[in-house]
Amino acid sequence: MRRLAPLALIVAVACTSRGGGSCHGEHCGTVVFAAIGQPATLLPPVTDHFLDRDIFDQIFLKLADVGPGLNTVGDSGFEPQLADRWTWRDSLTLAFHLDPRARWQDGRPVTAGDVAFTFAAYSDSVLDAPEHINLAHIASVAAPDSATAVFRFRQRYPEMFFDAVYYLRILPAHLLRSLPLRQWRSAAFGRSPIGDGPYRFVRWDPGQSLELEADSTFFLGRPHVRRLIWRFASDLSVAVTQVIAGEADAIEVLVSPANVARARQATQLALYPYPGSAYLFVLLNLRARDGSGPNPILGDVAVRRALVAATDRVRMAQSVFGAAAKVPPVPIPEFWAGLWFPDLPVPPYDTALADRLLEQRGWRLGSDGVRHRGGRKLAIALAVPSTSPARRQYAQLIQEELRAVGVEVKLDLMDNVTLEDRVRRGAYDAAIQAWANGPRPSFDLTPMWVAGGGQNYAHYTNPAFDRWIEAATTARAPAAALRAWRAALGVLAADAPAIALAAPDNVAAIDRRITNVRLRPDSYWAYVRDWRIAPDRLIARDRLVR
Amino acid sequence: MAAWLLRRLVAALAIVFAVVTLVFFAIHLAPGTPFLPTGDRPLDPSVEAGLKARFGLDRPLGAQYVSYLDALAHGDLGESFSQQRPVSMALKEAVPNTVVLAATALALELLLGLAIGAVQAAYAGRRLDTLLTHTTLFFYSLPTFWLGLVLLLVFGQELHWFPIGGVIDPVLHQALSPAGRLLDRLRHLALPALTLGLVGAAGTARFQRAALLEALSQGFVKTARAKGLTETRVLVAHALRNALLPAITLMGLALPFLLTGSVVVETVFAWPGMGKLAADAVLSRDYPVMTATTLAAATLVVAGSLLADVLYAVADPRVGRERPR
Repeated sequence: MRRLAPLALIVAVACTSRGGGSCHGEHCGTVVFAAIGQPATLLPPVTDHFLDRDIFDQIFLKLADVGPGLNTVGDSGFEPQLADRWTWRDSLTLAFHLDPRARWQDGRPVTAGDVAFTFAAYSDSVLDAPEHINLAHIASVAAPDSATAVFRFRQRYPEMFFDAVYYLRILPAHLLRSLPLRQWRSAAFGRSPIGDGPYRFVRWDPGQSLELEADSTFFLGRPHVRRLIWRFASDLSVAVTQVIAGEADAIEVLVSPANVARARQATQLALYPYPGSAYLFVLLNLRARDGSGPNPILGDVAVRRALVAATDRVRMAQSVFGAAAKVPPVPIPEFWAGLWFPDLPVPPYDTALADRLLEQRGWRLGSDGVRHRGGRKLAIALAVPSTSPARRQYAQLIQEELRAVGVEVKLDLMDNVTLEDRVRRGAYDAAIQAWANGPRPSFDLTPMWVAGGGQNYAHYTNPAFDRWIEAATTARAPAAALRAWRAALGVLAADAPAIALAAPDNVAAIDRRITNVRLRPDSYWAYVRDWRIAPDRLIARDRLVR
Repeated sequence: MAAWLLRRLVAALAIVFAVVTLVFFAIHLAPGTPFLPTGDRPLDPSVEAGLKARFGLDRPLGAQYVSYLDALAHGDLGESFSQQRPVSMALKEAVPNTVVLAATALALELLLGLAIGAVQAAYAGRRLDTLLTHTTLFFYSLPTFWLGLVLLLVFGQELHWFPIGGVIDPVLHQALSPAGRLLDRLRHLALPALTLGLVGAAGTARFQRAALLEALSQGFVKTARAKGLTETRVLVAHALRNALLPAITLMGLALPFLLTGSVVVETVFAWPGMGKLAADAVLSRDYPVMTATTLAAATLVVAGSLLADVLYAVADPRVGRERPR
């Protein structure tokens, strides 16, 4: 029945199509992705939006990419893309040897000159590429010959290889060199790119859809699925409904248990749970709102530990996400599974402990059910984005649980942009945050929690934590790095500058006719070129040739 | 008449200017920044500072306003922060979609509203009138987004009669003949136009019923009946014609409703028009797009109001003579 979904239109095609042919065999198939939002541009250095990356990663290749294990240390598990091999010339010099078969979609070969050009563009302050900070440890990229790109690092560290390959999508120098960097953000190339990846750009109807088609000559193997189409919606429920109704084939994250339940009812869909990259937490401001000194309430580590002890985080996660979320020890995503140490000193859920900690700090329960000390009420304002049902639900549960130990929580609902603005200015007590991280913990944790970090909006400082982070990011042996991570996160858990709430699983919904599906938490559609639709399972839109 | 029209035009320009000025300062003074991290990695402060400098947001607000007016006077609406292209391009693509949606919804609203109002007046006080009164009241009281979602779920997801969102089918459209493409567009237009039109039609019907009942009690209707004309002819040729004047006013008033309604409807139906553009811009604090969509909406509303006044004057020469004075 669902295959008959756009019945009238199929009839219309039959009656009025312009005589396009019909595709049969292995390399047919159209996959329609339901996407929320729309891309800004498809020129990689000027954007790091999720959706933009999802799309341009089909068009542009990296030298190599992380494998399914998402290892970021050394070069183990990395999969070749434009480079078919690499060699370390010394501890600071890494040479990539380009696959001689690699071609731009206009037929020109991909050269080491393209790699050097790409690095220069990403690093140029005129372009202000969001990724340029990740390349700070790379001193230069040279092209001694057309097939060899040589990276020279400023220092030795465990994630050198990752930095060299993960962020750079190699660009065609012959097409972009003449374009001033100042014009890249609005360049026509970004709306009609020519790449070297498995799919080539076909059409972009702004606000509606974007289409790519498989490059049948792709040097790493012709993709099975012939066409990829992204349909853009502003609203998650519309995108989910499109997939359920059979008008789209795939959505990467269903987000809420309600959407998962709806998708489960659609018999044509298969659900794919996979570790999520997002996590929710209550960020606590350790500095006074006016910046004059420590926060009079949350500046006290005992109070913060009491807040953690007073919140039943497991019950809350179950209430909001059902079984589809886990509670991390500290604010980190599920796919950093290696850092989920079970023995970190996180205060357990224990309201008696919370009461005791608060009593010890002089916070006495008043007749109004709220604790007081020296004329000050134990009250905090919790900033909540009104646009997020999950976070609104969490806010109510937190308010209810903290009230039980004599903490008054006032909910401040506001739109997310306003909330983020307040957090960045330090004009908040506590805020429910949802962040998503990439595969490299050192890159994400350092700015968030190290003293003076660009995103340390909690104003958290602990020299011991900073030292352990430094040790973790510079350790040469993986075991030493892991020990340092355990120590760093232990300090963070004990200091409790945040209450870790949940790390939700991702659940993708994908049409059952599509097989060989693999999903990657940091790049949902990284393996689309391996997806397959068997010839006997093709539907009308798979066969349609225009 | 010409002097009246000129005065109205000047007043219209002043209104548009005032709205744009108000919106410019309101959105720049509102909390929030357009350059929040959107990927999975935090935005480096130096990158944010660079973006602010690039778009002139590091300058005093007064200086930004003067630059904005200067650019506007030269037809430059600026560059979208979120779409990374000239705002005029985004607007050029969005406005036709909104005009098509609003015009269809307006036509639906007027045709359906006038017809229902006429039927109600003809059957005033009878069971059909009561039924239609309750039905129109029901639709009139529905929130637009709720009606849109219900139509989407029932006719899109469950019955598969209509597509779920978009202007065209991105898979099949290019393969269709011109007639097929038109049919495809109409299928996509149906639900959003119905959502906007139904709520408006309910209001129009209630106005029209009252206007027709008043017209039917006038002396010229009694004269027509006394001449022996059929009741249908009396209703259609005499009463309805005279009761159309309020409908013209309603049409002018409907434009703001259609434009504000389109923000919700376009979001629900993934319709890439001005409303969706504005909603997305508000959420991402895309200042140039916000001011441009406000400018376009204010211009359309003021133009619609002006047009309604002119039509009113044309339909009723007495009014036309009075207005210029």
